[in-house]
Amino acid sequence: MDRYQFEDAISAYLENELSLSERQAFETYMNANADAKELVDTIRSTMKSMKNLPVIKTSDNFISNLSRRIEFEKNRPSKKIVKRPSKSLFGFTPLYAGLMTLLVASFITVGVNLWPVNEKSVDIAPAFTENISETPKPASTLPTVPPDSKTILTAANVDSADSTVDKKKKYKLDDKVKFVKDQH
Amino acid sequence: MNQLSPNLSIQPLAMDNQFRYTDEELIARFQEGDEQAYIELVNRYRNKLITFVYRFVNEFEQAEDIVQDALLKLYTHKHYYRNIAKFSTWIYTIAGNLAKTELRKKKQRKVTSISQMGPEDRDYEIPSVAPDTDEAAQSEYIEKTIQAAIQKLPLHFRTVTILRDIQELSYEEISKIVDVPLGTVKSRINRARLQLQKELIDLK
Repeated sequence: MDRYQFEDAISAYLENELSLSERQAFETYMNANADAKELVDTIRSTMKSMKNLPVIKTSDNFISNLSRRIEFEKNRPSKKIVKRPSKSLFGFTPLYAGLMTLLVASFITVGVNLWPVNEKSVDIAPAFTENISETPKPASTLPTVPPDSKTILTAANVDSADSTVDKKKKYKLDDKVKFVKDQH
Repeated sequence: MNQLSPNLSIQPLAMDNQFRYTDEELIARFQEGDEQAYIELVNRYRNKLITFVYRFVNEFEQAEDIVQDALLKLYTHKHYYRNIAKFSTWIYTIAGNLAKTELRKKKQRKVTSISQMGPEDRDYEIPSVAPDTDEAAQSEYIEKTIQAAIQKLPLHFRTVTILRDIQELSYEEISKIVDVPLGTVKSRINRARLQLQKELIDLK
């Protein structure tokens, strides 16, 4: 037996929980080491002192204080609130059940109103595709622009939602500018 | 259920056969509405519990509050007790948990003030009551010294050593109270005793 094994077995030795062979090994080690014997003696003495420590007693008003607290606990208002009412709809009180139903109904109504209608989307789609696939109109179909520069600039500033049409217009205006230059 | 009268508790118990009932029988009676059984349980356990809690937290008033909390829980949560464990195990567990919670709160509150202390203030001072020839004074000195040494133990050592060496509960009961295996309890008690011995070196 080494020192660690000895220290691990002290409580078991003092409480008679060691087997005969373990006890013999423990005592052999203890008798061979004076400090080990002293350690066991002091632990035994401390255990005895701890057992003899006085019992602590509660104060004289302990019971009356406890009774007061019990009375308070019984009459505590929060307890009455916590008490579940007998009538309930799916575990909700009638008030909460009504509010929940109202909330769900309003969600459905708002959701239906915000949902896009199918007919409109059908109308929009061909118009959009038509604009994209539209072939540029020949220059002859464009309105005749007066040959002064002011009118040309005004026409150039005209914005269009369709970028392809805008490019075509610019292209045609460039032609016009060249034509004006030619005139001068 | 009858209301517990404040006067009822301090009067002698009307239960003639009170000593025939075990703790488990008393709690069963209390669960059925017999408040006298509750009073008997309180009278049986209040001093045991305050001894345990006082040795644990080292402040009498705080210990008394904790014991009252534990006994109040017994009153309000009586139906939580199931007759699969000893009543003593159950009530010690409640008191022990409340005491640990209180100590943790106390520790958190002290963190700021301790950080402001000088290093010389941090050591726990063992009471400097000189040993006297008078027996009462000597016992008082031993008690204070042991109490101070217990406070130096880590919480998991402190609990088991109080339950074993002061309350004299069995290893099996302690194992259930602290909810750790029996072998761990034995090991903790042994190590706690060794550590306690180092603290009590001056007591020899």
